[in-house]
Amino acid sequence: MKLQDPRPSKWQLFRIWASVGLQSFGGGASTTLLIQRAFIEKHNWLSIEEFTHLWNLCVITPGINLVALTVLIGRKLGGVWGIVVSLAGLLLPSATITCLLAATFKQIENQAVVQAVLRGVIPATGAIMLLVGWNFALPIIRRGHKEGVLYLLGSSVVIIACALAIILLKISVIIIIPGAAFLGGLFFSPKPASPLSTKEEQGEKQ
Amino acid sequence: MINPFIYFLLFLKASLFSTGGFSNLPSLHQDLIANGWAKESYFGQSIAIGQISPGPNGLWVISLGYLTFGYAGAFLALIAITLPALLVLVVSAGYIRIEHRTWVQGAMYGVSLAVIGLLLSVVWTILHQPGVDWKGLLIAAGAFGLALSRKVNILIILGLAGLVGYLVYR
Repeated sequence: MKLQDPRPSKWQLFRIWASVGLQSFGGGASTTLLIQRAFIEKHNWLSIEEFTHLWNLCVITPGINLVALTVLIGRKLGGVWGIVVSLAGLLLPSATITCLLAATFKQIENQAVVQAVLRGVIPATGAIMLLVGWNFALPIIRRGHKEGVLYLLGSSVVIIACALAIILLKISVIIIIPGAAFLGGLFFSPKPASPLSTKEEQGEKQ
Repeated sequence: MINPFIYFLLFLKASLFSTGGFSNLPSLHQDLIANGWAKESYFGQSIAIGQISPGPNGLWVISLGYLTFGYAGAFLALIAITLPALLVLVVSAGYIRIEHRTWVQGAMYGVSLAVIGLLLSVVWTILHQPGVDWKGLLIAAGAFGLALSRKVNILIILGLAGLVGYLVYR
């Protein structure tokens, strides 16, 4: 295995994160891939196991997972200043471009051509969002195959109930998420020491 | 008139009660529309701009900030999506102690279900924008098919959708 590169300087860390941010088009998946390439494959500062563990922590943290991941990797490689330069590198250049694009859009939005193009682009962004949701649903469907129809049905009910609660009842997200966490803890907690569990002994560490 | 302090708190709240880049949309949609600080069309536009600009998906909020409140809005939005990420330091300190409790796993599963529900409501919000008619829904269906196949880059899909929009609606 390749030897770990020496710890990066603040400036190097900033440049790596800036290049990750500026190269990632089309969102999360490409950013994650670029981070893996830079920090695991190129410089060997992280192992894939470590990366996966950090990622799991980010998923349960509020907000954008990738920004949280930037905080954790930044801390590991440079302490508090590592966090600061990593966040600045990932966010400032790409946020500036996003902001300038929005400003440009505001200048030209009333032109008929722009309006027409946008009427095509906006439904497509809805479709992309649906795909993001579909990707999130895949592991649940897979798990449902193992756990049975009731599990799959119960999961679908919670998903649809959350969507309808927002769309029709306009219930605040602040209530929806803790509510779903509560329902999940109540109905979807793995049963202790289930004799059917094949891969992992979920009950052992209670 | 937009009150910058409340405006910032609304963005911060949306970010704190979300996970992933888009699940802050329902909260922002509810609050900004209720205050009269955003037009319905801003949401679809912001996401479209976010998709064609570099960086994590969650940066779509920057363009929502700009469209609603200019450069100040973009700046406040940036701070609001950055601060909650620091909570990961607290999470990483506390998680080790509780990760093996079964109720934690169940609760996390519940949250992941809610996130999918949130995303469905985002899809609904976008496809209910003014200007999305049945032709728009056809474009959405086509784009979904292309994206699902994973053979076509997202930027190309958006470009094609824009081209179709230009040809159909000009």
